This record gives sequence, C-alpha cells and structure tokens, in this order.
Amino acid sequence: MATNTDQKTIRFKVKRQDAPQTAPYWQDFDVPHPPGANVISCLLHIAANPVTADGRTVAPVAWDCNCLEEVCGACTMVINGRVRQSCSALISELAEEAAAVTLEPMTKFPVVRDLMVDRSRMFKNLIDIKAWVPIDGTHALGPGPTESPANQDTRYALSRCMTCGCCLEACPQFLLDNHFIGAAAISQARYFNAHETGKTLQDDRLEALETPGGVSDCGNAQNCVQVCPKDIPLTESIAAIGRQTTVHAIKSFFSGK
Amino acid sequence: MTEHTPSTAASSGDPATSFLQQHHFLFRRLHSLSGILPVGVFVIMHLFTNFQMLGGDFQHEVDFIHSTPALLVVEITLWLSIAFHAGLGLVYTFSGRPNVRRYRYGGNWRYYLQRITGFIALGFIFVHVATLRWRWDLFGWFTPFYVRGFDGQPLAHATTAMALQHARWVVAIYLIGAMSVVYHWSNGLWTSAITWGVTISAPAQRRWGYVCAALGIALTVFSLGAVVGALKYHVTDEDRRSIRMTVDFYESGGTDADTKPRPHTATHGHE
Repeated sequence: MATNTDQKTIRFKVKRQDAPQTAPYWQDFDVPHPPGANVISCLLHIAANPVTADGRTVAPVAWDCNCLEEVCGACTMVINGRVRQSCSALISELAEEAAAVTLEPMTKFPVVRDLMVDRSRMFKNLIDIKAWVPIDGTHALGPGPTESPANQDTRYALSRCMTCGCCLEACPQFLLDNHFIGAAAISQARYFNAHETGKTLQDDRLEALETPGGVSDCGNAQNCVQVCPKDIPLTESIAAIGRQTTVHAIKSFFSGK
Repeated sequence: MTEHTPSTAASSGDPATSFLQQHHFLFRRLHSLSGILPVGVFVIMHLFTNFQMLGGDFQHEVDFIHSTPALLVVEITLWLSIAFHAGLGLVYTFSGRPNVRRYRYGGNWRYYLQRITGFIALGFIFVHVATLRWRWDLFGWFTPFYVRGFDGQPLAHATTAMALQHARWVVAIYLIGAMSVVYHWSNGLWTSAITWGVTISAPAQRRWGYVCAALGIALTVFSLGAVVGALKYHVTDEDRRSIRMTVDFYESGGTDADTKPRPHTATHGHE
C-alpha cells in the first residue's frame, strides 16, 4: 500500500480472538496517522490494509462502533490499559503517553471477536431494575407531575449514561462470572426513582436491588466514578440507592407482608 | 426483609447457600452493623484502656472492666460478633477480584487494604485472645494475662508487659495487628456510611472521611502509646514471682470461673 511519507506511523498492539471460545493472541500493526486521527480511524486503516508489522496479511480486526462522538458507548475498549471509548481516543494524545497503542477488548464481558464484546448483561440489568417510566395504557393519562428545576439538574447528570460499561470494567466487584449488577444500573435506578412518574415503580426497583448481586455487593472501591467518561456521580448514586434500600428494608420489616 | 425471588441467584440448591441468598441484603447489612457496633465500640474502649499503660491508671481501668456484670455474656457476644463478621467477610472478600495494579486510585487501594487488613486482623485477634485471654501456650510464648494475682495483687500491667517484652517479633505482631484493626474499623466506618446511605454527596463523603481519619489517628495514638507503655514497664523479680505463683495456683485447681483448665501444665520459664 502507498502511504503518504509526510505522515507519522504508530505501532498498534492488538489483542485478538477469533471466536468466543478460542484463545486470544497478539498482533502488531504499523499505522500511519494524519493529524486528528483517532483509534477508530486507525482501525479503519487496518481493516482496509490488514497487514501486520512483520508483513503477514491477516483477517481484518473486528470492533464495534456507532456514533463516533462518545455518546453511544459501542466502541468501548481497553486502550493502553485504560477503559474508554476508542472514537474519542486521539492518537496525538496516546502517542505522548506511550510509544505504541495497545488495544484490548473489555475483560468483564464475553468476547465476540477481537475487540467486540457482548454487553447484553448491562441491558438485562436495566430490565431487572425496570429502567423506564410507566406511561403505557389504554387511555390518555393527562399531563404528568411537574419536575422541579433542581430535580431536573440532578437527573440530567444521571441521564448521560450510555451503558458503555467503563464503570463495570474498572470495578473489582463486577466480574465476568458473577451476578453483581454494577454502578450503571444502580445509577439508572436512582435516575428513574427520582422521576415524578417513574417513582411509581420505586419499590420494584429497590426489591430487585436487594437481591444477591444488588447494591449491597458494592465494595466502595469507587473506581467507577473515576473512569466514567460522562462524569456521572456514580458513587453518589450508589449511596442514594443505599439510603433508599435501607429505608425500604426497614419499612418492609415493620409494615411489609 | 423482602422475600423477593432473585432472577440471578435462585438456581442454587444448597440450603445454606439459598438461605444466605434469600436474606442476602439483611446479611450484608448485619455484616456492616456487626463490624461497626459491637466490635468497633469494643475496640475503642479496649485501645483507650490500654493507652492508660502510658502514665494512666491501667489497673484501675482493667478492674473497672472486670467488674462488669455478666462479663462472660459480653465476651461471648463479642466473640460471636467477630466470628459472624469474619465468616461473612471471608465469603464477601472472595466475591471480588482486586485490580489495584491497573487502577491505582486511592479508593481502590483503600478497598484492597480493607480486605488485607481484615485477614490480618482476624489472625491477630485470634492469637491475641488465645494467648492472653484463653491462656494458650503458643510456641513457648506463654503469657497469660491476669488482672490480679491469686491473693489480689495487681498484675494487669506486669502480665501485659511480660507478653510484649517476650521478643521483638511479639512487638511487631502487635503493631501490625493493632494498625490493621484500626485501619479496618476506621475505613469500614467510612464505607458503611455510603453503604447505609448516610453520606450521599461527594462532599459529605469527604467530610465524613476526615472524621473517620481523625478517629483512626486517635486509635493509632492509643495503640502506640499502649505498646510503649508495655515496653517501658520494668518487670521486677517480685512481679515474676507473683505471676508464677498465680499461674501455679490456677493450674493446681484454683477457682476462676472464666478460666478453663489448660491441658498443658508444664512449668514455664520466663527468666
């Protein structure tokens, strides 16, 4: 392939895996990067030119992406040891911290192929905590209750969650083979419990979060809030749900069935 | 609490496991509570009492504690609380996988240290209670703690001093053990406020962190002061004679309702 000689080249070290059950292996690629290149544009280059640094033509690297503006979460992977979105990982910044760019799939979700993982556990968790506002019915319900501006501000911060999985990748309690629900779903429970109409399902959400793998399995390492790309106050959400479950459990003890 | 059947964990057929799972939230909260209240409050009292070895009236404090009505009930409550907290703590610890090498945040280190100090504290508390309270003879380090001798002479400071002055490794074990206990409780007090939902906002968590750190520093000072107080005490020949006669008295059938007869009755040299 012809590359522009003005462009700098950077080494990519990619952890690859052909199928969910096969063993991972590493391959290196040298990729030219124009100004403004990001990991996705370099992966596009590798897809078009799947030739390793030692000259072998290999199967193109598979990865996931969608929005390319860090709001969908699909392209999340471990870049130079840190979990983040590959669309917003600029090569010029990565080149300053290391000589090569190391790409690995997230370790807390099953690998589909190469850098693609199956995050469906996150979406199942959202179903478990009923992460929606119940408004469906057979007749018009009229306007909902008014949301105060202060409550809107709190909820806006929580609404930015894109279910990317960074918080879970960094969490020492969320593992590939356990049942912990993790910070993202706990924060969404807080989000919908704070909605004037959404709170009608609050008891269901709290009961789901009191089961094994629920909020009490949090170990308070607080890595989630450190790695969240959307700066969501995840540890405040965990504490808020901690209070809601405490109150709910005491009420259930004294007045529940 | 809530008898909600979990979709994630209902599959286990083991009755003990499913009992734990059915009451998962309750057990988690009781685990937290058992660490803060019975164990934690006792640790504060205990370390403050020990601190009196540095210039205070240690014998008076210990006499006061031993005048507590139904002391054995209090002790058994503490032992059960520690066993409950430690047993569940071990199960919970192995449900996570520390990752401090990849994520080097302060909170992640505190999470890791909380588990490490839990292990150390469990081992330390066992050795501590076994040697001083149950008067076991571990590896020739026979240092039974007596509040008073068989004829009433004060022995609290002397027996504690002899235990600590036995060897340098004993001092090392006490320093590491006490620091582990202090860290585990102070950090546990901080995280429990998040767990229960007492501190919600990040500034509130930070403020409560300062309070817990201050408590931890105070308890550290108490512990260090106690160790210094035990090491500074000059164990006299008179003390040794009293301790020897007291040991012999109880070993030859002297009455002490709290003391089980030990199988090991050989004479012990401390000189």
